[in-house]
Amino acid sequence: MTTGRWLVISCVAALAAVPLLGSATMVQYGISALSIAALAQAWNILGGYTGYASFGNSVFYGLGAYGTAIAMVDGHQSFGVGLGCGVALAVACAWLFGGPILRLRGPYFAIATLGLSGAMSAVVSNLGFAGKNVGLILPLYRGDELFYELSLALLVLCTLAVAWIARSRFGAGLVAIRENEDAALVMGVNTPRYKALALMLAAGFSAVAGGIHAYWSTFIDPASAFDSTLNVKMVIMTVFGGPGTVLGPIVGAFSLSAISELLASQLSTMASAFYGLVIVLAVVFMPGGLMELGRGFRRGGRHYFLDNMRRFRL
Amino acid sequence: MSTPGSAPGSEGEQRPASAPLFEVRALTKRFRGLVAVSQVSFSVAPGQILGLIGPNGAGKTTLVSLISGTLAPTLGEIHFEGRRIDHLPAYRRAHLGIGRTFQVMKPFPGLSVLDNVAVGALFGIAGGERERSRARDRARQCLELTGLDHRQDQRADALGGPDRKRLELAKALAMQPKLLLLDEVMAGLNAVEIDEVVALIKKIRDRGMTILVIEHVMKAIRTLSDRLLVLHHGQQIALGAPDEVLRDPQVVEAYLGKRRT
Repeated sequence: MTTGRWLVISCVAALAAVPLLGSATMVQYGISALSIAALAQAWNILGGYTGYASFGNSVFYGLGAYGTAIAMVDGHQSFGVGLGCGVALAVACAWLFGGPILRLRGPYFAIATLGLSGAMSAVVSNLGFAGKNVGLILPLYRGDELFYELSLALLVLCTLAVAWIARSRFGAGLVAIRENEDAALVMGVNTPRYKALALMLAAGFSAVAGGIHAYWSTFIDPASAFDSTLNVKMVIMTVFGGPGTVLGPIVGAFSLSAISELLASQLSTMASAFYGLVIVLAVVFMPGGLMELGRGFRRGGRHYFLDNMRRFRL
Repeated sequence: MSTPGSAPGSEGEQRPASAPLFEVRALTKRFRGLVAVSQVSFSVAPGQILGLIGPNGAGKTTLVSLISGTLAPTLGEIHFEGRRIDHLPAYRRAHLGIGRTFQVMKPFPGLSVLDNVAVGALFGIAGGERERSRARDRARQCLELTGLDHRQDQRADALGGPDRKRLELAKALAMQPKLLLLDEVMAGLNAVEIDEVVALIKKIRDRGMTILVIEHVMKAIRTLSDRLLVLHHGQQIALGAPDEVLRDPQVVEAYLGKRRT
């Protein structure tokens, strides 16, 4: 247990040292990889632990970005204050819409969250102070090292939150909801409140990622801030790594980021096709993600893959 | 088919001398045209076992769902420890001390047997244990009681039929309810297993728990119940001592008559 803890701490320290040692491109790649990992981790709280597959987390990302940008551009506030506004906006939105939307289950929940994403993009496109559909330009800050460290800090914080969830009473309630919501309710889990808290937590972390990205890229518009393909990435990375585990989303995000980077540099035009192939194969052969693959492979060797294949009648 | 009742409380019977733990007054549930439960009134004294019988579709499970809070009544009142609870959500009723099992079992399939039961200990009466380790200790006791302790590390979806029934019971017990609603926990068990469950239910009752039990196994319900409530087409057709109720011509016709032909 303690050796594991030291391993984690040294990994974080090594990642934190990248801006001192690595090249500028490496830092930039690191910022995207770390923030998508943090987004996947935030998605994991709701999708992995609570069993509610959200396609609305990009809404909270976008609100975080817009909250930060509006506070900095219109309100002439510092980045820190802006980030706080972005988080407050996203969490308030999660609280407001969480009530009705979290009553839906399965695909209906997914569709409703997808609708939320479209609606929010349309709303922002019509707000003058949000720059309508043209977007907002933020003050320029040259210092990728700062954005890198902020993204790393966000990922660490988000992972600590998930690690706490994994062993807390709150987390036990979320998992019970995922496994059987009716039984959880009858056994005393305050399911509406637990689901709302999970959504608000995910919203807060996603909003920080959005705020960091807005300041880093110095420009946001509705299309990029409320991009639902970003949400698809969160889902794929979490599922690839292992939903409902503490390290799964990070493993999934890092490995898929690396694979897509590698494919893009090796065979530029066919890259996305191979990327898709990797994901399809992963879902068929290891539905529990990379984290379960380790366990399953140790127990059953190649039978682990064959059993999964049979389960899909392939 | 539907017979809208018009005399609320008319079927209320004599209350026992001690204050009832739990009371239902003129409880009615309509699903659009169908009246699933109609004007049902009864009360249960602390430490009693009330048997609930009736043909398939009589409204037994609906009644249990109304009491546990998974369904909202159309009309009528539910009182628990002198307090009206029919407007409370299901989890609040669990905190007050109402636990139930499901006829169509609802395990947490991906969790270990121990973790399944620990959920009951973590969230049951008075909001449950705060500490996961203590909840697990309580869960282990419940597994021992139900004879599942040797399976505690297995996943719930790996259990066979009888063990799933035991798990359902252990989950409800871990909540430490004052009122336990058992919805056909003996279905699919063999004679030996039924005797075990009957002994277990008696043991739980002797610890002071009040129990409402739905069962089709007539021998078991007869030995267990202090009183028997019979439902037919959602109507309460008899309530009283088991032997008297089972001799009631109306009950024989509605429920037992079919089996004797």
